[in-house]
Amino acid sequence: MTGTGGGGPTTERPFLQLEGLTKTYGAHRAVDGLSLKVSRGEILALLGPSGSGKTTTLRLLAGFETPDRGRVTVDGEDVTSLPPARRRFGMVFQHYALFPHLDVGENVAFGLAERGGRTGRVAEALAMVDLAGYERRRVTELSGGQQQRVALARSLAPEPRVLLLDEPLSNLDPALRERTRRELREAIARVGITTVLVTHEQEEAFDLGDRVAVLNGGRLEQVATPDELYDRPASAFVAAFVGRANELPGPLLGGKAGARAVVRPEAMRFTAPGPGSLAGRVVARRFASGYAFFTVEGEGVTFEVFAPHDAARVGDAVHVTVDRVLLWKEPA
Amino acid sequence: MRRPRVSSAWLLTLLLAWVVAYPLVIVGAEAARADLGAFVRQPTEWAALWASLWISAASVVLAGAIGVPLAFVFERYDFPGRRVLGSLIALPAVMPPLVGVIAFLFLYGESGFVARAVRALTGMQSPWRLQGPAAILLVHAYSMYVYFYLFTRAGLARLDASMLEASASLGAGPFATFRRVTLPLLRPALAGAALLTFMTALASFSAPYVFGGGFRVMTTQIVNTRLNGDMPLAMLETAALTVLALLGFALIQRTEGNRLVTSVGKGTPPALRAIANPTARRLAAFAGWLLAIVLLLPHATLVLVSLVPLNSWTTEALPPHYTLGNYAEVFRDPEKLRPMLNSLWMAAAATAAALGAAVWAGQLVVRRRSRLSRSIELLLSLPWAVPGTVVAIGLATLFSVRSPLSGRWVLVGTLAILPLAYLVRNLPLTGRAVLAGFRQLDPSLDEAAQSLGAGRWRRLWRVTLPLLKPALAAGGALAFVTALGDFVTSVLLYTYDTRPISWEILESLRLNNIGVAAAFGVVLMVVSALALGVGTRASR
Repeated sequence: MTGTGGGGPTTERPFLQLEGLTKTYGAHRAVDGLSLKVSRGEILALLGPSGSGKTTTLRLLAGFETPDRGRVTVDGEDVTSLPPARRRFGMVFQHYALFPHLDVGENVAFGLAERGGRTGRVAEALAMVDLAGYERRRVTELSGGQQQRVALARSLAPEPRVLLLDEPLSNLDPALRERTRRELREAIARVGITTVLVTHEQEEAFDLGDRVAVLNGGRLEQVATPDELYDRPASAFVAAFVGRANELPGPLLGGKAGARAVVRPEAMRFTAPGPGSLAGRVVARRFASGYAFFTVEGEGVTFEVFAPHDAARVGDAVHVTVDRVLLWKEPA
Repeated sequence: MRRPRVSSAWLLTLLLAWVVAYPLVIVGAEAARADLGAFVRQPTEWAALWASLWISAASVVLAGAIGVPLAFVFERYDFPGRRVLGSLIALPAVMPPLVGVIAFLFLYGESGFVARAVRALTGMQSPWRLQGPAAILLVHAYSMYVYFYLFTRAGLARLDASMLEASASLGAGPFATFRRVTLPLLRPALAGAALLTFMTALASFSAPYVFGGGFRVMTTQIVNTRLNGDMPLAMLETAALTVLALLGFALIQRTEGNRLVTSVGKGTPPALRAIANPTARRLAAFAGWLLAIVLLLPHATLVLVSLVPLNSWTTEALPPHYTLGNYAEVFRDPEKLRPMLNSLWMAAAATAAALGAAVWAGQLVVRRRSRLSRSIELLLSLPWAVPGTVVAIGLATLFSVRSPLSGRWVLVGTLAILPLAYLVRNLPLTGRAVLAGFRQLDPSLDEAAQSLGAGRWRRLWRVTLPLLKPALAAGGALAFVTALGDFVTSVLLYTYDTRPISWEILESLRLNNIGVAAAFGVVLMVVSALALGVGTRASR
């Protein structure tokens, strides 16, 4: 699953490398032997539920936490024990952490050396995030989206080696999120900076990340391009986390007793009664732009079918066939 | 069916204006009749004014130099005993001003424990005198660093850790982060503490009164002029001090008005850093406990002196005899019990009335958003800015003439004047706590009670007051303790029938009955601590 596309790691030496990172808090192992490689200019998204260790990983990268074991290298340089101030990693915080006592321009200039073309660099950085001329504004007067862009400009102004984004869109209302996501992607692409971002939303990770690393309980479940993750998940956890997935008893689909088949709702369809079809009754329907998720009860299980919204009605007795089993879960 | 709302708001505003603002107006009017030229030409007047200013400024510097570093240590580092010490460190705050002053006298005075110890060790006679500006500043530094300590700790606790991390990730080292991020973000807290200290020092009376000697600040100058019978001059002095204080008050109002938002988003404060080096840990713990001992010495001194029988302690380093007789005297002698009961009932009555006024104000200001809201809030907080000396002289002047048409009756020399003065001085404390409590209430609770058919009084009794209990307890306890320990208004307004504890302490000291004075001090301290303890418990 490596090197097939989407900017996956190539034969060249990885720019940013995490090797066996482990971090424990008391008895809790927040990050457990995590290894990842990121190429120069690549955007890697860390995706996982809360408590999966993705934020801790980002803080280990930034230098706010020191790992118990493992190394972080950038361009061949070991930065594991380098303090954050000397790491030259830019970071955009979840709540932006803009300094309220400074104006927009002073915020952006914060990381720049005291003299020498500072004004020009600030203007450049603000222009890059479409906020040219905002230097003298107070940060508290800005909208959430603008604050986010100032935070991005501030972190990029000192020309860091790596950009870290902590849940960059979680603080915005949904209407704004999609547009900001696009702007963010364009800004990063323009700079061409190696980026690691943390998110718990699959859509965000897939949209922004060249590759996505799925974390669970401090461990890496799978790292791959979005398409690979969706189509060839390595585990039932990944399958369910990056999309909707039904789990059906194996024997229903010709599998072994005890095994379970993981099936995407769009890999199922309504059909005429026949051999191998599952009988059931539609108990609920949820619209999704022209299509709908139908909740079907039958054969002792409940599952979801994705079909045109008028394919069935609530209460209908239906038959369903499975086109493709995503993966088989063997009995534990 | 309900009577117009305006009337209630107007009534409260008028009442507050009558007892809070009117006395100041009267003082101003009387002062205007005095000879301003003589006042301006008096070098002693300028000296007192100047002394008030520089003592207050020096108090700010000293209190800040102690309180701010302490706050950083306790908010940022973890070491053994941190929790216990962190609360012990606020102890000077529970000592009524006069009690603190006499504890210092017994401890660091020329015949205090420290001087006796030095004498016993070196044979030197009277190594120093605890008098003049240095003595005043010592007491101020001890009792006022708490403001800087508490304000800075609160400011640090509100500081978003991601601000510091953002600074670090932009390449700023620890010192640069402190200078460019931490300090500017703490500025509102530091400015608040500085102004509070300045105002408290400006109004301070006990320390200059006991330790000043020939060194006069404005508060003691006023009392002295009054004693000399020069009423017009006293009025001018009072007016001058009021102007100074009101300037400070205006400054505070402005600072609070444009308080910076500490953080744009919500964040968590930085985690405590444990001191890893074992030697450093032991050193920190040792320094901490040493500090605690220094802080507790005045309290311990007071307890020890309260056990000394009359005239039994002459030249020895430690008192030779101990007895509980002073306490027996304080509680058995009706002449001594009287001031205690006086202080208790007057403080209780003043606190209850101040709480009542605060709840009334809360209903109008927060619930109904009355047009008079701003005036009511201003009148409630005004006495806080006005030194106790000024409040006392203002009320004494206002209520020394019978002229019902201009709202003046003779209350001076009656039972009512002292509780009234306590009430006025308590208004800011209860007002602040109760208004904050009202602002936290969900207005829909009152509306729910209305829709369930509850009338106005039933809603107040069954919904509002129970929900306000924490605010009432906190504000009430603080007000009660302040009134109980009050010295300056008491000394100016007492009558023989209402003589309060602080007057009796001073009287015992004058008769050289130090054991009884200390016993009164201990009782006052214990009752204050109990009241504050009950208040804190109930406000949780």
